[in-house]
Amino acid sequence: MQRVHLVRLTALWQKETLALLRDRHGLIALFLMPAIFIVVMTMALHDAFMPGAAIDVAYAVVDLDDSPASRALVARLDKAGSFRRIATERDAELARQQVRAGRQALALVVPAGFGERLLAPGGIDGKPTAPLQLLVDPVLNPALQLAFRTQVSAVLGTLRADELSQRAGQLFGLPTAGQPVERAWPDDIVSVAVQNERNVRPPSSVQQNVPAWLVFAMFFVVIPIASIFIVERQQGTLQRLRALGLPFGLVLLGKLLPFFVVNQLQAVLMVLIGRYVVPLFGGEALHIPDGGALALAWLLCAAVSLAAIGWALLVATLTRTPQQATVVGGVGNILMGAIGGVMVPKFMMPAAMQQLAALSPMAWGLDGLHTVVLRHGGIAEIAGQLGLLFAFAGGTLLLAVLVSRKSA
Amino acid sequence: MSAAATGIDLQAVGYRYAGAGRPALDNVSLNIAPGQVYGLLGPNGAGKSTLLSLLCGLSTATTGTLSVDGRPLAGLRRAEPRAVALVPQDYAFYPTLTVRENLAFFAGILGFAGAAARARIDAGIAFAQLDDAVDRRAEQLSGGLRRRLNLAIGLLGEPRWLLLDEPTVGVDPQSRHFLLDAIAGLPAQGTSVLYTSHYMEEVQTLCRRLAILDHGRLIAEGELESLCGDAAGAQVELATDVALPAALVERWAMLSPAPREYLLKLPSTAALPGLLGEIAGVAQLRRIACGRPDLEQLFMRLTRRSLRD
Repeated sequence: MQRVHLVRLTALWQKETLALLRDRHGLIALFLMPAIFIVVMTMALHDAFMPGAAIDVAYAVVDLDDSPASRALVARLDKAGSFRRIATERDAELARQQVRAGRQALALVVPAGFGERLLAPGGIDGKPTAPLQLLVDPVLNPALQLAFRTQVSAVLGTLRADELSQRAGQLFGLPTAGQPVERAWPDDIVSVAVQNERNVRPPSSVQQNVPAWLVFAMFFVVIPIASIFIVERQQGTLQRLRALGLPFGLVLLGKLLPFFVVNQLQAVLMVLIGRYVVPLFGGEALHIPDGGALALAWLLCAAVSLAAIGWALLVATLTRTPQQATVVGGVGNILMGAIGGVMVPKFMMPAAMQQLAALSPMAWGLDGLHTVVLRHGGIAEIAGQLGLLFAFAGGTLLLAVLVSRKSA
Repeated sequence: MSAAATGIDLQAVGYRYAGAGRPALDNVSLNIAPGQVYGLLGPNGAGKSTLLSLLCGLSTATTGTLSVDGRPLAGLRRAEPRAVALVPQDYAFYPTLTVRENLAFFAGILGFAGAAARARIDAGIAFAQLDDAVDRRAEQLSGGLRRRLNLAIGLLGEPRWLLLDEPTVGVDPQSRHFLLDAIAGLPAQGTSVLYTSHYMEEVQTLCRRLAILDHGRLIAEGELESLCGDAAGAQVELATDVALPAALVERWAMLSPAPREYLLKLPSTAALPGLLGEIAGVAQLRRIACGRPDLEQLFMRLTRRSLRD
């Protein structure tokens, strides 16, 4: 590169850095906002990412039978542990009132004769079998209602199977174990995340949230880049630079490096927050990958950064005022984040939304980071995301140049 | 084309914006000698800014040729990119940067580094008397100080030609006086100036020669003295109680800038009694002024409109 271009680039970088350091709103959007999001969202979604974590929903059991079988049912529900039992009542009406009062969201009424008719389906011997009854607070999430019903059905099934094998054993004089309720069963299902090298547990809240909000924050370079660029255009500074013979490519390069550095600083800061600040609030510390994975994660950050800067320059050329740029850039980012799995993790979305997520550059970055950090993927596994991000960066930069030429 | 001509030389220059019905510049030929402050006048939309943007390389002429100091403009800009500098009408610098930071930035864009950059920045500060404002952000400066910074940035590269586009808009009288003095002194320091302004009195003070553009065409060019005192005739301005008959207006080659107001030029004051005699037969005179026109009157006569429209 010619020496004069190096002098010019240095001047452009210094100017851009000074302008950014004096842009308080831009700095807040770039550094403070994602830091707060990471801490708050990590804590808010803490349990959603914990496999087998207790669901904070209380239920009561109204045991009208008080038989070994009903007690076994209660004991096994306790053991499942997902829902929190707060009482065993004897009065169904009292339980109903407590549901209405909000003390508990669910009440399971075990009818009298439950143990006796455990193996007698209704009508098989000419006598009716009273069903188990579930009193439900209607505001309780339907998925949780269903989960509780499923859990009760499962426990009921094992109870019937045990009872059946017990009676059959007695009938045929086979050796049997003690009472069903006393038996220990390997009935926990352990969630295992499938990874490349070794099996470790699934992503925690901090592992989801740090990459997500980092990618989101990187795209917020749109605010300072667009504000500086639009002021340059409005005040005639871009024209003056052209009159001084400064090529437009150099103007763009002058913006690329400072904001690339800003993006890398964001990455370091967000990782440090995940590692050292989140634990202060009771969350789990972020695990930082080492060696090759770290290099791949950085490569992804670099690709996300270029995509974000390209997007920012395109927004800057397409909008007329800093206010317009803030709205278009800000809303665009929020949309990309919303469909890209930043605000609501992709795996929580319905299938159709997950397909839509594939359109968001933020999702490409986030998927890539998860592949590297959580699934220990190599360069081949993230090549697709890297390609998309680089193509997006190149495409938006090219469009920005074309739009600028046309309006010059 | 007079390739050997010194100064700024335009030969049959034309420029048309994409999609525009008529050209912004139409067959303009003009030679501006170095060593002076040359005035460029014209109403809004006359083609002044287009001419400046051609001269500083922001646009390329559709037809005709431009040369500066005997070299085709494009070649000169490649060989000596600092030879022609523009000071735009906008405050084309960074509001959140200080005066010194702005000067340092533009010095860098001009390719100055190290001691050379520092020397140019100090010279700019001294020239525009910005010593007390060097560490203030540009957004905190008064209109006058901003204009001075704008001018100082334009002079950083020690250009041979400085193109000034309305350099005194929005400044206080003291700053205007300072700017005009500073600009008047530039030719002596080796910088020739092409000066556009809406303020006629400024052009009259600063420029010995000037050109007037209207609708993209050059409608007058020459020494201020000879343009205003053309043919030693007398300029007559008059107002009547009723409109004058068209035949009378035509015979005396009158212009009518407003209803029942007329402008005309007489070969000498001896023709005045004849004119008054003819008018007396058809209308009453409300007002009459007779004498040598000033620049504003000349401008109005030539462009048939006010400068500030």
